[in-house]
Amino acid sequence: MAEFNLNCKGLQCPGPIMQVFKTAKEAQPGDIIHVKVTDRGFAKDIQAWCKKTGNEMLELVESETEIYAKILRK
Amino acid sequence: MGEKILVIGAVAAGTKAAAKIKRENPKAQIVVVTRDEYISYAGCGLPYYIGGVIEEKKELVVKTPEDFKLLTGIDVLTKHEALKIHKEAKTVEVEDMTTGEIKEYKYDKLVIATGASPFIPPIEGRDLKGVFSVRTVNDALAIRELVDQGAVKKAVVVGGGFIGLEVAENLHEKNIEVSIVELISHILPPFDEEIALYAQNYMADKGVNIYTGEKVLSLEGKDGRVSKVITDKREIAADLVIMSVGVRPNTELAKEIGLELGPTGAIRVNEYMETSERDIYAVGDCAENMNLITGQPAWYPMGSTANKMGRVAGINIANEEKDSLKGVLGTTIVKLFKLNAGKTGLSERDARKAGFEVETALVPANDRAHYYPGYREIITKLVVDKKTHKILGAQVIGEGVVDKPMDIIATAITFGAKVEDLEKLDLAYAPPFSTAMASTILAANVLRNKLTGRVQGINPVELKNRLHEVQIVDVRDEGSFMVGTIPGAVNIPSGELYMRAHALDKHKEIVLVCKIGKNAYLSYLKLKELGFENVKILEGGTNAYPYEKE
Repeated sequence: MAEFNLNCKGLQCPGPIMQVFKTAKEAQPGDIIHVKVTDRGFAKDIQAWCKKTGNEMLELVESETEIYAKILRK
Repeated sequence: MGEKILVIGAVAAGTKAAAKIKRENPKAQIVVVTRDEYISYAGCGLPYYIGGVIEEKKELVVKTPEDFKLLTGIDVLTKHEALKIHKEAKTVEVEDMTTGEIKEYKYDKLVIATGASPFIPPIEGRDLKGVFSVRTVNDALAIRELVDQGAVKKAVVVGGGFIGLEVAENLHEKNIEVSIVELISHILPPFDEEIALYAQNYMADKGVNIYTGEKVLSLEGKDGRVSKVITDKREIAADLVIMSVGVRPNTELAKEIGLELGPTGAIRVNEYMETSERDIYAVGDCAENMNLITGQPAWYPMGSTANKMGRVAGINIANEEKDSLKGVLGTTIVKLFKLNAGKTGLSERDARKAGFEVETALVPANDRAHYYPGYREIITKLVVDKKTHKILGAQVIGEGVVDKPMDIIATAITFGAKVEDLEKLDLAYAPPFSTAMASTILAANVLRNKLTGRVQGINPVELKNRLHEVQIVDVRDEGSFMVGTIPGAVNIPSGELYMRAHALDKHKEIVLVCKIGKNAYLSYLKLKELGFENVKILEGGTNAYPYEKE
């Protein structure tokens, strides 16, 4: 099992979703993707993305300054 | 002996006028009467008292009559109701509501500051217990008491204007299930639809139930207490109902003596706050304003405007030299949870109604540098006169700093700025405060690109109505496209546009879509280069598109 760490802070357009999407393509089932983001729309986007792609959201933490998501590649 | 001044009303405008007169002319003999038991209170703060953000009553009441007397030397008679003005004799009959005694007060100059009262539609059940408006300190005290007792599980707010929404937020924060019922098709009636729906989606996401385009028919009760709201579409259980469908100017006293009212129904005053009757002034929510842009009468019952009117009247009453208030823009701002929404000048709808040929831009941008922690997106809508390029109005919405751009634009409009002027403003910038190209400047840039034909845009409201007439192309990456796009859109990432553009129909209107509009603009230029004529970008991108996505 591999872990990927993405720092997408400051990224907006093309957004962090594109980075997650690319990484998920490279990753193997069972791998973990950690991503840090400052774009506020990401929290909603990543949930929708996980639903559509069948990957699993393990953790989603929103603070005043950033959003952290932990995703299990399915 | 100084002049005798009588002021009727003692919230914002009345006390402001009285205090200013006294400062300008210490010899003036001023009496202020009010039927309320509180004076000079923060009416705009009432929703926050209900929710406990403002903890104690005393914080709401700016000054007690005793404080006011000590500070200004002016007598305020609370629980004193002005019953009748005798304009020839220059007296006012005033009833002491505690003793029932009626006394005549003489005046040389009279200030009417009778304010406005909530309009309660004449529906069945409006007198049930648990039905309130939010206008006075006593309203707020009574609602807060019910809330603090835990007696409220479900509340219905009738009317999606500022006060209604603020109360809804405050009740929701108290773990009360809140439903808002609004008659028109969206909350925040003065705003344009796409901005208002953005706020509506936000509130719905927070868990507030919102029913728009729905009319409240009656209220039902059990044992004298409200239990249900009946609309033309449903029944909503409620143990608290807030009626906030708007306010009406209190003009009874003025009408009785034949003071002229304006087309808005408020007391007509000139720029000096003089009514149609010599020596009688009207200020605050009972009086009319002039809209600075249209030059037409308008009515903005706002604390900010009331205070200015009070001051102008005060100066004019105390002096030979005259001060004036030429008009206002109707600038407003509201906080809904963490969302801020502001409006100044004319909405697109108002501007069209007033006969302007209008151009608009809808532009998302960051309030601070994108690499600075804590920045937020805000969306600016600018409305300008196509002929003169003068700015007619603006609306700004988002979780970020909204009051600054609102005030920049309100200032610019006041001084007659054109969109080109707005583009060149030298605004304060460092990453924690703003962006190198501030959101307002960016919006002005986009608007000028539209005015000069550099780009053509389509507003989300228009696109939603024409979804089936156009080819929609989402130019974002595949991942973003998957997350949610405009119904019917195909995905051609901007990087692949040169290779794949041939698949598009040159004879059918193309709408390019991205997240905020920038990538769509760059793609627009590519398609133009490839010879496509009929292309538009979706203004504000998917971020500002408030309708269903797929």
